Amino acid sequence: MRPSVEEQLQGTCRILEDVVAPCVNDPLARTLLDGVVANLRMLTAALPGVAPFLRQDNQTTGHLLAQLSSSVSPELAERVALALATPEPDVADMAALDAHNRLLRELMAEAVCSAQLTPEHHRAIVVHMSARASRMPMRYVATTPSPASPSRPTPQAQN
Amino acid sequence: MSDRSSSDPAPARAAGSAAMDAVDPAVQVLAGLRQLILDAHPSAHGIALDGLVRSAGGLSRENWSFDATWTDAQGAHHHRLMLMRDAAGTLLHTDRARECAVLKALEHTAIPAPHIFWMDEQGQRLGAPAVVMERMPGVCDYMALNGPGPLDARLSLAQDFLALMATIHAVDWRALGLGERLGVPEGAPSLRDLAHWEGEYRKAQLEPHPELDYVLSWLRRRAPQAEALVLVHGDFKPGNALIDQGRITAKLDWETAQLGDPLEDLGWVTNPVRKREHQIPGHWERREIVQAYRERTGRQVAEADLLWWNVFSCWKLSIIQLTAVAEFVAGRYHRVFQTPTWLYRPMFQMMEAAL
Repeated sequence: MRPSVEEQLQGTCRILEDVVAPCVNDPLARTLLDGVVANLRMLTAALPGVAPFLRQDNQTTGHLLAQLSSSVSPELAERVALALATPEPDVADMAALDAHNRLLRELMAEAVCSAQLTPEHHRAIVVHMSARASRMPMRYVATTPSPASPSRPTPQAQN
Repeated sequence: MSDRSSSDPAPARAAGSAAMDAVDPAVQVLAGLRQLILDAHPSAHGIALDGLVRSAGGLSRENWSFDATWTDAQGAHHHRLMLMRDAAGTLLHTDRARECAVLKALEHTAIPAPHIFWMDEQGQRLGAPAVVMERMPGVCDYMALNGPGPLDARLSLAQDFLALMATIHAVDWRALGLGERLGVPEGAPSLRDLAHWEGEYRKAQLEPHPELDYVLSWLRRRAPQAEALVLVHGDFKPGNALIDQGRITAKLDWETAQLGDPLEDLGWVTNPVRKREHQIPGHWERREIVQAYRERTGRQVAEADLLWWNVFSCWKLSIIQLTAVAEFVAGRYHRVFQTPTWLYRPMFQMMEAAL
């Protein structure tokens, strides 16, 4: 399928940078445009990794939930068991992967606040969350204000 | 109990916002400013507003600079001014009336802060809540402490910032009437702040964040009592100051000021994720900052308490970024933020160090 998604995103960045940006003189608009382009470039690189990330995260989150379920309330443990019994979504179905990830992380948000967790549980939680943070494919891209041309003249008020 | 306001995003934008957005923002601002001057000085004539420019910076609200000239019964006036107007979308919801109250109180102190001219609390003139203040000399430089300047000058500036923080914390807020305006916390300020920011978290939350719930649970279990109750700035950093020839000419952005634990500000500047803004490697690091603060204030600064405020700073910063995410998704904010995963590991490391 050409142009591919990646080619289209890269081409969009090129047009914005080479054609549009030089015509943008307002400093705020130029700064926002630079941020948009930087984010599109980040997305271009991150996009192929999103589905594999969700798939792996669903697996590791499931493992951790199974570990924690002995130290959470029976009601929560029941919901965890139900979620873990659900078949994993098709790897090509991004929406289903995302929905399953949300379900597991909702359960995790409750489980990690249980007062009954052991020191081993806490270590496992931190290891899991730290590893997840380092694998996250999408990242904030910081941009600094661009040295755009002077701002367009603004109307003057007189009375 | 604090009466700090940070509830609904940009409430005053609601009235007629569609019509407002259709016009050139600069035209709207000029018309609103002219009306503000007439409200404050009914006999004003010959009003001129020159050089209106919206800054590219400012993540939480619109910043416009301009010069105002008019003549009234008292004579001719010329002022260099700044307008801060609530944006349609923001990563930080704050209240203009609180900010004005703090700035007016500071006029009775030696703290360099802008003089307030006018406030449009409900956005009746400017389309959104706004405040107009003096434009003070100096430049804003986030990286002033780690820029190209000589080490001794940067070190001197770092010490000046610390001294300024201690001066703010020494403000006699009771005498200035700030207790009534800002609210005096009934219990530990740490718990008050945690409750406030949890409210912001729940409003901004679009999906589960077990990491932030886990840290919140830790913060709840360990919330410290305050050694003192002081005026805190709430976002103390070089980027919220003006510097002219190596001297701090103004401390800006008081919208998050409140009565609280002095370690809130100290925890913000010793927060490891903000080292590049607040510290000078090998010369002005956490140990030197804390020691200097102890010497200036006579406070003990318990390490465990400071660590709590360091973790809280990162957690609060996470909530601010989630707010930006939610505002972006809602179509109100024009900068793209992500879930702040980069803050998670530093928080976990500090929590482990506290064990």
